[in-house]
Parts: sequence; C-alpha cells; structure tokens
Amino acid sequence: MTTAPVTALPHPEDQELIDRIIGDQAGRPGALLGILEKLQEHNRHKYLPMETLEYVAARTGVPQSQVYGVATFYALFNLDPQGTHTIAICRGTACHTRGSRALLERVKLQLGLQETSDGADKVSLTTPDHRFTIRTVACFGQCALAPVVEVDHAIRGHVKEQALIREIEQLRKESAR
Amino acid sequence: MTEKVKVRIDGEVIAATAGQTILEVARANDKYIPALCYMEGLSAVGACRLCMVEVAGVARLLPACTTPVQEGLSVNTTSPQLHSYRKIALELLLVERNHTCAVCVSSGHCELQSLAQEHGVTHVRYPYNYPKLGVDTTHPRYVLDHNRCILCSRCVRTCAEIEGAHVWDVAGRGIQSRLVSELQRPWGEATSCTSCGKCVQACPTGAMAEKGWGVEEMTKRRTVVSRLSSMREGM
Ligand code: SF4
Ligand code: SF4
Ligand code: FES
Ligand code: FES
Repeated sequence: MTTAPVTALPHPEDQELIDRIIGDQAGRPGALLGILEKLQEHNRHKYLPMETLEYVAARTGVPQSQVYGVATFYALFNLDPQGTHTIAICRGTACHTRGSRALLERVKLQLGLQETSDGADKVSLTTPDHRFTIRTVACFGQCALAPVVEVDHAIRGHVKEQALIREIEQLRKESAR
Repeated sequence: MTEKVKVRIDGEVIAATAGQTILEVARANDKYIPALCYMEGLSAVGACRLCMVEVAGVARLLPACTTPVQEGLSVNTTSPQLHSYRKIALELLLVERNHTCAVCVSSGHCELQSLAQEHGVTHVRYPYNYPKLGVDTTHPRYVLDHNRCILCSRCVRTCAEIEGAHVWDVAGRGIQSRLVSELQRPWGEATSCTSCGKCVQACPTGAMAEKGWGVEEMTKRRTVVSRLSSMREGM
C-alpha cells in the first residue's frame, strides 16, 4: 500500500465508509470502478469529491492520475455536486431535429444557468443552491419519442417546452417547502 | 517461450521468436515501419495507428506494434493504401490540436513533423479543431503544452514503467481526452514527480520540453528510455 501524501483528508466518518467499501471490493477485478460507484452512491450530492479520490488512491495504491482517468472516462461519475433534481435532455440526432437544443436553452434560461463549456458536447450544470442539475445525454434509445427528457429518472417523450417549464416550476415549489 | 518462427516481411524470409511483435521483428531486421506511440522498452498500446500493416489472409489492417508474429505470417509494410491511411492518421493528429510548428521549441526535432514530411503531408484536408488548451508552466524545469500533445501516452508509460512514479495519465474520453498529472494538479505541485525529466525525453513532440529553449532549440535524447529499460532487464 502506498502512502501518497494526502493534502486534505475526507471527514473521519467518510474515511470509515471508504475503508469499508474498499475492503468489500478488494481483490475483485475492476475493483476501482466498483469502489467509485459505491462512493458516489453514498455521497449526499452524488459526486466524488477530490479528497475522496485522493484517499482512494492512497488506500488502494492505484496512482492518482489513474483514479482520475477512470473517474473522468465514465459518464456515470460526477466530480461536482449534483442537484436534488436532475433534468437530462437528450441531444441525440432524433431529438436534435425535434428541437432539443431549444429545450435545453429554455431550461438553462429558466434556471439561470450559463454554460461554462469550452465547446464540450456534454453539458452538466448545477444551480448554486444545488436544487437542479441539467445535463445532456447522447441518446436515450427512445428516439421515436423525440424530443426526450428525463426528469428525476422518469422518461418523458414528445416533450413540449411549456409542459417542461411547468414541471420544473412545480419541482422548485415543492423543494422550496 | 523461445520458439523460433519464420515470417515474411515484404517478401523476405526472416527468422523470429514467437511472441515478438511484427514491429520488433521488422526493426531488428532493418525493415522500416513508421511508429509514433511505440517506444522501445515501454509496453505497446496501439494508440496512433501509424504502424498499420497488411497481413496476408487478414482482411483488415493490423497495428505492427501490438500484433505478435506467428509461423508463416506474411507482412506487407508499404502499399498505396497503407500510405494513404497513414497520411490520414497524421492529418487527423494535426487538426486535433494546435500544432503551430513555426513557433515550436521542437520544430525540426519533432517525430510528428518528420513523419508528416516523410508522408508528403503538405496540407491537411480536414477542418482544424482549434481547441482552447492551456500550457502548464508550473514545474520549475519543464513545461507541458497541451496544444502539441498527441496523447500517445509515451510520457505516461515512461513515468509509470521506468521511473515508477505514474504522475501522468489520460483523463476524459474521445475528443475531450487530456493528459493529467495526478488529480489534475499542476505539474509543479505533483506530489509524486521526482523531476527526473524522462517523460520529457520520451515525448515525440514539443508538448513536453525543458524550460529555457527557443524555437527549434529543444532536442531530445530519444534513446535514454529504451536504454534504461534494457539495462534493467539485464540486471
Ligand atoms: S519528470 Fe520524471 S517523475 Fe516527473 S513526471 Fe516526468 S517521468 Fe515522471
Ligand atoms: S505529452 Fe508528449 S509523450 Fe505525453 S501524451 Fe502528449 S505527446 Fe505523448
Ligand atoms: S436521439 Fe434522443 S432518444 Fe435517441
Ligand atoms: S506505433 Fe503502433 S499504433 Fe502507434
């Protein structure tokens, strides 16, 4: 086990959790993937903080750059805190031709989000209050229903701008309570 | 383990050892196959696709650096088709980042540039990608210019396999892939870098260089990594 100097340690409770998860997965092929997946699941904001990645590297002996490579290769991992509600807008070809860009722009406007993107095709933006995350998806495999939007893991087909806006307003009101 | 096999490279019968790759056998016998991500003494990854060759009886092209030889294998290293594919591979490398040779420290000593010249790449036929990329100048002695990085991973493997530090890796995927040190820390703050400079020597382009050189001034000791590795094997 390497003891790479750790610049910031996760919270002691989190350390225990990480140690336990690493212990459970140890020795399995592709253990790192499983470890990161579990850790993200357990994180309140569904992401992998840098301290966590650093701690995992130190504990497993996997080089930090390799841990980072895995965490950024798979779309499933988030390196930033995610919102309570997730709006995933499909940017596949079918959905694009049925106006998904306008949907995306409209939702961004509604939530006051601005793209920081350097031309990246994948968008993942979270409101400062951590209530909403909007992200883009390459294709949901539901092209017949284009444009497709996923709201908190429920697929919506033939999405109309106004209906989507109303739904988000509704969620906003509910979570304000 | 040391089973002897006979293979043909461009018609010539050559004795080789099973398990050697086509590229290793070719190099040992002075047969030229262009290669960019391959470096003697490092593991082969097949990333650049420049070493593609034709193998008799196989419909698709195979990378010479990762394909092991076997008895009776017959390889063709040059053909108009191979030439045109290698040219395309080079052009795509050139459009992906901002390779402005005219202001590069490695111009004149760059493997990408010389391969392009060798393949008659006088211009590129695809639109430039013009990504906005940074230059990491935080290391006291070296610089990393992402604009000139071709993601060949020679530095990654050199640092991991020869120096044993594994400072570098490739993060992200597809067109968003980037070389990272540790957890995307600036190179100068990397906790595991020993400042040995071997990654710089291994880099085929001007992406990694020593500080203090002007345009065309950065030459690299190309064989240092391979020599270190062979000395280790001999130990
Ligand atoms: S200088 Fe040496 S230790 Fe530092 S990144 Fe390069 S190869 Fe690795
Ligand atoms: S920095 Fe150089 S050696 Fe490293 S991946 Fe980029 S081009 Fe290859
Ligand atoms: S393109 Fe949107 S679901 Fe396939
Ligand atoms: S040298 Fe074989 S793929 Fe790069």
